Amino acid sequence: MSSTPIQPPSIRTQEEIAARVKALEAIMIEKGIMTTEAVDRLTEIYEKEVGPQLGAAVVAKAWTDPEFKERLLSDGTGTCRELGIGGLQGEDMVVVENTETVHNVIVCTLCSCYPWPVLGLPPNWYKGPEYRARIVREPRKVLRDDFGLDLPDSVEVRVWDSSSEMRYWVLPRRPEGTDGMSERALAGIVTRDSMIGSGVGPAA
Amino acid sequence: MTGFRPDATELGDARRRVEALVAELPARPGDESFDEPWELRAFAMAVAAYHNGQYEWSEFQLSLIESIRRWEAEGGDAESAPWSYYEHWLTALETVLAGNGVLSDALLDDRTREILATPRAKNHHEPHYEPVAIDPAR
Repeated sequence: MSSTPIQPPSIRTQEEIAARVKALEAIMIEKGIMTTEAVDRLTEIYEKEVGPQLGAAVVAKAWTDPEFKERLLSDGTGTCRELGIGGLQGEDMVVVENTETVHNVIVCTLCSCYPWPVLGLPPNWYKGPEYRARIVREPRKVLRDDFGLDLPDSVEVRVWDSSSEMRYWVLPRRPEGTDGMSERALAGIVTRDSMIGSGVGPAA
Repeated sequence: MTGFRPDATELGDARRRVEALVAELPARPGDESFDEPWELRAFAMAVAAYHNGQYEWSEFQLSLIESIRRWEAEGGDAESAPWSYYEHWLTALETVLAGNGVLSDALLDDRTREILATPRAKNHHEPHYEPVAIDPAR
């Protein structure tokens, strides 16, 4: 086969291009050229730069400033904006708080709606059909089996469905033994998964 | 299905390898970030296919340069073909894969149409005010 160029870029909508990229990825995976894991690994490199450290800063502030936390829980989008955090796919963010008796976890049952401004781009498992279906059907089991998060029976699990109009994310509980830590140090221990609800505090 | 978590060293190594590859390519003007999620995906796919041995990086590089050059030669008209670095990137990736015979334009067109034809759920553009599921305390 000659390497005649495929059609040059013409005007296509973002949706059309996104679909084409998705189709290309599916074909390449089927042909064994790449694995989802390999693509995930590369995207994660970039995710680290634009991602969950922003949400972590918001969480750390909420842990150390009760008034900020109150505002955050009543107006997620507006309160993040106080810290200059906001933008595409974060227009209407709702922050749900974990407590001793309630554990929250987020999903987008249909696709991959996710609060980009605070968490970056979603990990691939979040977008996968398996997680999207099972976290709704058997949340406690998925958290235990797939994420190693074994919640006591006394804790209620709430699963929040993000849509393109309203995106949820989780305010995790402040870990025990962090009383003396500064806001900045606290931000360093907040994990992405704790803000999805698929994990808790620092990876320990 | 558990999340992929490379350790810091692995991540650092991967980053350096990618940066070494990207350093030789025509630069994207302006900032370095991605405007759309598909751009990041397309970016990662090109690197992954290269690691898989599908092409020499220089082939991809030339293909990318050629796509950009063609756009410029056609006048770089913002109205008829607005600038999108990652559309060129995608074109380059498709071109090298087609050149190796692993991809056909027709197959890709069909799959793209299938994806576009998948209907979205009716209520997906509305806020959902209640938890979609609750597993009560026992």
